[in-house]
Amino acid sequence: MKELFPKQHVMGFGFSLLLTIVALSVVTLDMSYNIAFTILLVTALAQATVQLVLFMHIGESEDKKTLYTSILYAVFVGVITIIGSLLTMIWGYQ
Amino acid sequence: MKIDSSLPLEYSTEENRLKIFGFWIFLGAEIMLFATLFTVYFVLANRTGNGPTGSEIFELTPVLFETFLLLTSSFTIGLGIHAMRLGNKKAMMTFFITTLVLGLGFLGIEIFEFITYVHEGATITTSAFLSALMTLLGTHGAHVTFGLFWGIAILIQVAKRGLNAQTTNKAFIFSLYWHFLDVVWIFIFSFVYLKGLIS
Amino acid sequence: MSMEEIFHPMQEPMILMAAISIVVGAIVVVAGLTYFKKWGYFYKNWLSTVDHKKIGIMYIAVALLMLFRGGVDALLMRAQTAVPNNGLLDAQHYNEIFTTHGLVMILFMAMPFVIGLMNIVIPLQIGARDVAFPRLNAISFWLFAAGCGLLNLSFIVGGSPDAGWTAYFPLASTEFSPTVGNNYYSLALQLSGLGTLMTGVNFITTIIKMRAPGMKLMKMPMFTWSILITNVIIVFAFPVLTVALALMMLDRQFGTQFFTMANGGMDMLWANLFWVWGHPEVYIVILPAFGIFSEIIATFARKNLYGYKSMVMSMVVISLLSFLVWAHHFYTMGHGVMVNGVFSITTMAIAVPTGVKMFNWLLTMRHGKISFTTPMLYALGFIPIFTIGGVTGVMLAMASADYQYHNTMFLVAHFHYVLIPGTVFGVLAGYHFWWPKMFGFRLNEKLGKLGFWLIAISFNVTFFPLFILGLDGYARRMYTYSESTGYGPLNMLSFIGALGLAAGFLVIVYNIFYSWKNMPRNEKADVWDGRSLEWATHSPVPEYNFAVVPTVTQLDEFWFAKKEGRDITAGKFEKIHMPNNSAAPFWMSGFFFLAAFFAVFSAWIPAIISLLGVFGFMIARSFEKDHGRYISVEEIMETEKRLRGDK
Repeated sequence: MKELFPKQHVMGFGFSLLLTIVALSVVTLDMSYNIAFTILLVTALAQATVQLVLFMHIGESEDKKTLYTSILYAVFVGVITIIGSLLTMIWGYQ
Repeated sequence: MKIDSSLPLEYSTEENRLKIFGFWIFLGAEIMLFATLFTVYFVLANRTGNGPTGSEIFELTPVLFETFLLLTSSFTIGLGIHAMRLGNKKAMMTFFITTLVLGLGFLGIEIFEFITYVHEGATITTSAFLSALMTLLGTHGAHVTFGLFWGIAILIQVAKRGLNAQTTNKAFIFSLYWHFLDVVWIFIFSFVYLKGLIS
Repeated sequence: MSMEEIFHPMQEPMILMAAISIVVGAIVVVAGLTYFKKWGYFYKNWLSTVDHKKIGIMYIAVALLMLFRGGVDALLMRAQTAVPNNGLLDAQHYNEIFTTHGLVMILFMAMPFVIGLMNIVIPLQIGARDVAFPRLNAISFWLFAAGCGLLNLSFIVGGSPDAGWTAYFPLASTEFSPTVGNNYYSLALQLSGLGTLMTGVNFITTIIKMRAPGMKLMKMPMFTWSILITNVIIVFAFPVLTVALALMMLDRQFGTQFFTMANGGMDMLWANLFWVWGHPEVYIVILPAFGIFSEIIATFARKNLYGYKSMVMSMVVISLLSFLVWAHHFYTMGHGVMVNGVFSITTMAIAVPTGVKMFNWLLTMRHGKISFTTPMLYALGFIPIFTIGGVTGVMLAMASADYQYHNTMFLVAHFHYVLIPGTVFGVLAGYHFWWPKMFGFRLNEKLGKLGFWLIAISFNVTFFPLFILGLDGYARRMYTYSESTGYGPLNMLSFIGALGLAAGFLVIVYNIFYSWKNMPRNEKADVWDGRSLEWATHSPVPEYNFAVVPTVTQLDEFWFAKKEGRDITAGKFEKIHMPNNSAAPFWMSGFFFLAAFFAVFSAWIPAIISLLGVFGFMIARSFEKDHGRYISVEEIMETEKRLRGDK
């Protein structure tokens, strides 16, 4: 039975629960918007990394370099799209 | 078909490796799909027109349940793949079924949440904010729904055909998809709900 | 919607004539297939094929057909504006025609032409037997064909989209575009866009994972590099279009408030999303042309491509920059100085890597023994004409100056000066270059060159006057103008040029028939004294591409092996694994087509039933046991003997 629950996965699950609780603190505790937003950003990225590395095993195949490049490229373009659109539609416009 | 026995079964043939690689590339496209939906949401988040704002309609408790269910399902499907690599078909199927049940629970709460919104007079046509919110949540929910059917199809195949190069490959790719949906949910949880509740 | 409304467009005599000619054409094709008893052949060998070469040929056939359709649209536009106060077309018809001209030319001509060439050439250039996912490749094609069919159906049934190919809101909303035209827009583009996205995934996987042994990334031919980067852009840009089109559909058909003028909607958000996809899209159709020109210039200058590494680097930089410039399409929206400044700088920055490529091509030709074949003529014509397009692009990139140029004919002239020498010359060059590889005979050189000169000269006659008209303040998309504006003579000149372009197109098509009848068959494998692996196998290519997969040690291995007298295709035959044909992609896309067609008219129940058909095919595919088939060593030996014996 024990072999069905490898340490890596149990740890990953523990991390993700912990990160969720940390993220929740932005609602339960009183803090400034900037700090809250930073906490959300850090916990969300950490969650994503936990999933990618510990659960999805992105690093296990022979193509790990290409896979990391592709995911990072997607994140880069995604962030550019989000920030750029906010810039053109809101921050730089109103 | 050449089978390389030094690798897990789902990587064992050239075709399998191509499929896993191709699916990762597809996930890159999915990241962009959701990034665009987030773009639309962020741009429109404060444009509520005559409708309610986020902090007026978001409720933390159901969202926490959704998050917990989806995080756990991501954990169980990971265990399912681990069991599959050990060749333990029964444990693998149990974990997969657990995953799908948790996914179904998530979907149930999400549908309940939508019904509540509509009862409060917050429909997809009320304001730009609600259009963007419901499209983002709906797209994620539609992915989960699609995943449920996909998962069932794979379970049937594993039950009938056992763990072979094809079925393990399909199950592994499905697990990538499921973990990815969890990642997307984390971003929705953080930047839609929690951020909406504090601003 | 009543039947009368649905068939309303047919009351227009010109549309009725077009509709009749389509019906007559379809009857001729059906009758021809029946008379020659080719139905079985057609179904088995084309509709159900998963062979990348045949899929590529089908893409190119559709592209040529659409070049004709988009070309007729263009001729009508130029004819309408040739003289002041012309009454050939009314405003509505003119709106529809410039909308479909843009859509057809970009999405249903340039895209399939590029994708067709990559389908045919890429697996051959990297020494692979097929693409990574042959069945998915067939689905890509048939989804594209379904989208293409749907858009072309619009002008007979229900009315064409008429809000410009950019379909800006609020003009494209139901308030200002009440017909189903823009529903066709969102659904037809959605279908073909999905097909393109799958192509992107397929070709990245193919190029990364299936190269011949020894072919490291930096030993890949330049065309392969350009296609890899193109597909990276496709995979990360097309999801944006998918979302934008879905939101358009929701707004038009489900009453959401994304791009509305009330309830918080934001009309410019559409323009923003459209160009987040739209600008990378420009590079999706341009980069493959850069790759084609690199191959052709190196081949016909008989020299190694100059600056290989800088060529690759500049394309990588272009791919990143292509995602950083989109707001230059709407400088006049009224952003602050900072936004326009940022996007001005990123836009001008793209000129740098493009310039690097220009100089590399010129330096490749320096001291080369250039042979002036048809493909080479296109490449040579591209360089000066594209430079005019590029330089006017830098003029447009300056935000403050753009307030003067915006939405004038100057802009129209600019992007035609980029897209025609870039994309159209590129794909035509590739088409002439690889034609013998596809069919085993050459296209006639005399006719090919005649076509080139007609197109190159007429192109400048058509579009150069538009620069001047634009600077004089002639706005784009005006269906007519008064005589007192003085726009008449230059517009007439432009119309004459358009007639020349049409003549050039006719020569190119006539060349197919002429060469098919008159050119010698069984052309040798290496027609042009080529450099990359596609020239190492027979023309036309056997279904398994290479009897023995070549091993590569350097860039242009085939060229150097030729010089050293080595045969890189020699070796022992082994049985070859090939995928099975399947008609499922065709029928599945048929259901997709039906679903989209019903959705255009908001007939949701039949649309959902059709979608269930699509899911049915997906489930069936999931449960299917398909391990492909093997070609035996005897069969390979027989094929090779037949193909070699004729040489």
